[in-house]
Amino acid sequence: MAKHPVAKVSELPPGTRRLVRVGNIEVGLFHVEGRIVAYRNVCPHAGAPVCVGRISGTSLPSAVYDYQYGHEGCILRCPWHGWEFDLRTGEHLVDPATRLKAIPVVPPASPASEQLEPIPIEREGDSLCLVLPGESPNP
Amino acid sequence: MSRSAPLIDADVHNAFADIRAELRPYLSRYWQAYADAHGIVVPPAGYVSPVGVQREDARTPSGGMAGSDPDFLIRDHLDRYSIDFALLTGSHVLGLSVHPDVDWGNAIATAYNQNLADRWLGRSPRFRGSIVINHSDPAAAVREIERCAQDGRFVQVLMASGSSRLFGQRFFHPIYAAAAEHGLPVAIHPGTEGAGTAGAPTPAGRPTRYFEWHNIVPINFMAHVNSLVCEGVFERFPTLRFVAIEGGLAWLPSLLWRMDKNYKALRAETPWLKRLPSDYIRQHVFFTTQPIEEPERPEHFLQVLEMINAPNNILFSSDYPHWDFDNPRMALPPLPAAWKSRIYHENAAALYGLTLDVPVAPSAP
Repeated sequence: MAKHPVAKVSELPPGTRRLVRVGNIEVGLFHVEGRIVAYRNVCPHAGAPVCVGRISGTSLPSAVYDYQYGHEGCILRCPWHGWEFDLRTGEHLVDPATRLKAIPVVPPASPASEQLEPIPIEREGDSLCLVLPGESPNP
Repeated sequence: MSRSAPLIDADVHNAFADIRAELRPYLSRYWQAYADAHGIVVPPAGYVSPVGVQREDARTPSGGMAGSDPDFLIRDHLDRYSIDFALLTGSHVLGLSVHPDVDWGNAIATAYNQNLADRWLGRSPRFRGSIVINHSDPAAAVREIERCAQDGRFVQVLMASGSSRLFGQRFFHPIYAAAAEHGLPVAIHPGTEGAGTAGAPTPAGRPTRYFEWHNIVPINFMAHVNSLVCEGVFERFPTLRFVAIEGGLAWLPSLLWRMDKNYKALRAETPWLKRLPSDYIRQHVFFTTQPIEEPERPEHFLQVLEMINAPNNILFSSDYPHWDFDNPRMALPPLPAAWKSRIYHENAAALYGLTLDVPVAPSAP
């Protein structure tokens, strides 16, 4: 397995995102509600670079003509067709079965880090490393 | 004697031989004087059918307006096609909703409904009435619904599809509240597109001739159905049913697909919608068949019906006695048996609360 350093937690303050790339794999890192979450930068709908979309809140389910805003900072809106995804779950707000491709962010040597699919990101101290099959990159 | 399969006709036009003479007794003295001076005027759309609107062969035995004699209508249409129930949808009055003077519109609506109850609904148990309302004055429309709903022979509310506003907007919600409370579907019927206070028949302007106008009537129906869903009418009034009479149906797959696709992106604007737009339409909106679309290959019609879950949403209608009448025996291509019974009678029976004699097994010849 090869660990590819992609970012530092300290570079990702609450509410921000970073787009990182290793080889052909693009990943969006998001600091949302105290957690670091990561998704492949490919929208499950039509292949758009979803992770560069606007992060916002959205209207909450409500009664007719009742307008309520919520989920502040938790909604990623795809730049191509406007589909809204909840960054906490990766789920599309209309059809939860449609989800962003999540990359688990795990401690080193956790069971998930041994798996090839989904590829994990190991978080150790301030370091975030994408774990891929193959040789480690040269230091 | 064997009995033919049940049949409910969701669009039959009762008419007037002399509308002023027939409605006058139901008008107040003020409006009688108005009618004496001006007639029972409602705004015309300005498009005149080159083949006439009324079928020439359906004139009454005395040569009167087709549809104006209840007994002849029964013989000429209900008996001829063994129709169990006919939903009466009137003639020459729906334009009252697009008259600039809402008080005049209200007066005609009440007079029409009273005349219908007195002259038609008692004539045959096969007749069912539509409460004609003035959609430009929802408070008055609600009073008319409340008044007529006491008479169980009225089974739906009916209004012009021509309007200056889209029907989902909350201006109209009192009408839907009253209709839902009384379990009455709300129906719209074309003819007033471009008339009086209604908007132009298309957003790009006015067609030139009747042919062109008649082709494009569905655009108005699409706009209203779209509005009803997006404004949350069926969330706010979950028991309301809506009937789109004579507005076509083959356009529906396109609208359903476009609405569902857009909803996946734009739901934040209508957070009151809890389901896909197509779900609301399938559950709440009914479409009558006439004038049925006629693809070059009949199997394409069946494919359209599949796309719109038609067996649950479609009601047969003939539009008797108008020029583009659909013959109940010939208009639709052969349908699967289960669809046929739903479209020709079961859907309408359930929607309007009509009890049909269950056909017994055919007797031996």
